[in-house]
Amino acid sequence: MGALAGTVAIVTGADQPLGRGLALALAESGAHLGLIGAALALAEITADVEARGHRAVAVNAAITDRGALERAFATAADELDAPVRAVLHAAMTPIAYEARDFEDVDDDRFQAVWEHTMRAAIAVLQASFTTLRGDGGRIVVVTPTVAMSGAPRLAPYAMALEGQRLLAKSAARQWGADGIVVNCLAPAPDLVPIGVRSVDMSLAASALGGPGDPETDLGPVATFLASAAAHYVSGVTVCVDGGVWMAP
Amino acid sequence: MSGADGPLAGRTAIVTGAGQGVGRGIARALARRGAAVVLAARRAETGEPAAAEIRADGGEASCIVTDVTRRDSVEHCVAATVEQNGGLDIMVHNAFQGGRAHRLEDVDDDLWATNSRTAVWGSYFSAQLASPHLRRAGTRGRLLLITSPAGVEGSANIPIYGPVKAAQRALAKSLAREWGAHGTTVNCLAPVAETPALTGAFAHNPVLKERLEARTALRRIGDAERDIGSVAAFLASDDGGYVTGQTIVCDGGSFMGL
Repeated sequence: MGALAGTVAIVTGADQPLGRGLALALAESGAHLGLIGAALALAEITADVEARGHRAVAVNAAITDRGALERAFATAADELDAPVRAVLHAAMTPIAYEARDFEDVDDDRFQAVWEHTMRAAIAVLQASFTTLRGDGGRIVVVTPTVAMSGAPRLAPYAMALEGQRLLAKSAARQWGADGIVVNCLAPAPDLVPIGVRSVDMSLAASALGGPGDPETDLGPVATFLASAAAHYVSGVTVCVDGGVWMAP
Repeated sequence: MSGADGPLAGRTAIVTGAGQGVGRGIARALARRGAAVVLAARRAETGEPAAAEIRADGGEASCIVTDVTRRDSVEHCVAATVEQNGGLDIMVHNAFQGGRAHRLEDVDDDLWATNSRTAVWGSYFSAQLASPHLRRAGTRGRLLLITSPAGVEGSANIPIYGPVKAAQRALAKSLAREWGAHGTTVNCLAPVAETPALTGAFAHNPVLKERLEARTALRRIGDAERDIGSVAAFLASDDGGYVTGQTIVCDGGSFMGL
């Protein structure tokens, strides 16, 4: 029996390699997956999960629409016939990865990266609260270490990541009384398709070699944070980058 | 107040939200050290008297009414400053609106927008529109964003405040890396000081002041000019020229988690 057996884990951003690897790890630990996003985009991972003998459904909802997300979470629970216990939020708009001199960022781009990402994160967390409260819920937000290091030519992306990281901390402080723990998982920036190498932003090379495999290197940590074992861990950021970012 | 020989003599600064509180204190501290200061205030009723006070003390100051949530308004403020003073060396974005207590599950578009527009969009506009002038200022160029300890540790009372203040820190780090080659430094200051907002909160909840002082190592709430403005002035001066990408927490010793 895996650590997540008999439960549903909701995953956003599973149509991207990082989210996909983390989702597969949760499935290997016994979770049924409710994947948020268009069925077409998620067809490959849904097939992969099923080929391994696990269950996954794609449930479509606009990621900034709390009500639609709440209904999607409920649909996943119904279809998979198990309660939602964990939400892993890994979605990021691809525009965020495009490097630009800050002087060349226009209001549409800033809106699409900062404003959209934060409104999505707020909606996903609020829907998670509705679904998880009182039931030992786990929320994991994926925030690459760019959140903490900053990155040249990627300021709006770094802002959106760090904004999400602090949203998770505030949520952890408020929702602890509702039995919900909220944490962040911080992968190396080389695991996301940004145009700046992590070596530009960090003090050191990866102690364990990087950047790590989303499923086999990062997945076990995501599974722990999504499991009952994480019941007394909240508001933390776990850097799973093979030992690069070691602050503070 | 005579700053003719001060460390900031000959430099021009804009301080947003300078009509009261921390912004007013920073404006006064910069002027006292010789900077010509433009107080970018949302309301002339607060900005004009604050500028007049500085002038009465012998400093150089003017007020330009500015709404930091609007690009055209910040653009006007920067252009008028440069026209009036011949350049811009120091941009301080301090203006913020939206600190009332709330539950995260109840946050709606309006509450989010107020926080996001003043703290984050205001930082974006201030940084971007000041940037060509800061670059021309060479190693005197300074961008300073006023954030909060809550931007590092989150907040149980005002949860949305954490993310918007955190975004300013990520912006400062990113721009410090991006603009360092030009000599511009970019930092954050995370103050706790006597402000109208805090005074209001104390009036509403008298034990709050006692609690805040008790958890503060120095056992007093900071003074906006003497305790916070002085640190902003250090960062703005040549002495602070090798500090960039940092957050200086200026709270008398309460949050020590960095």
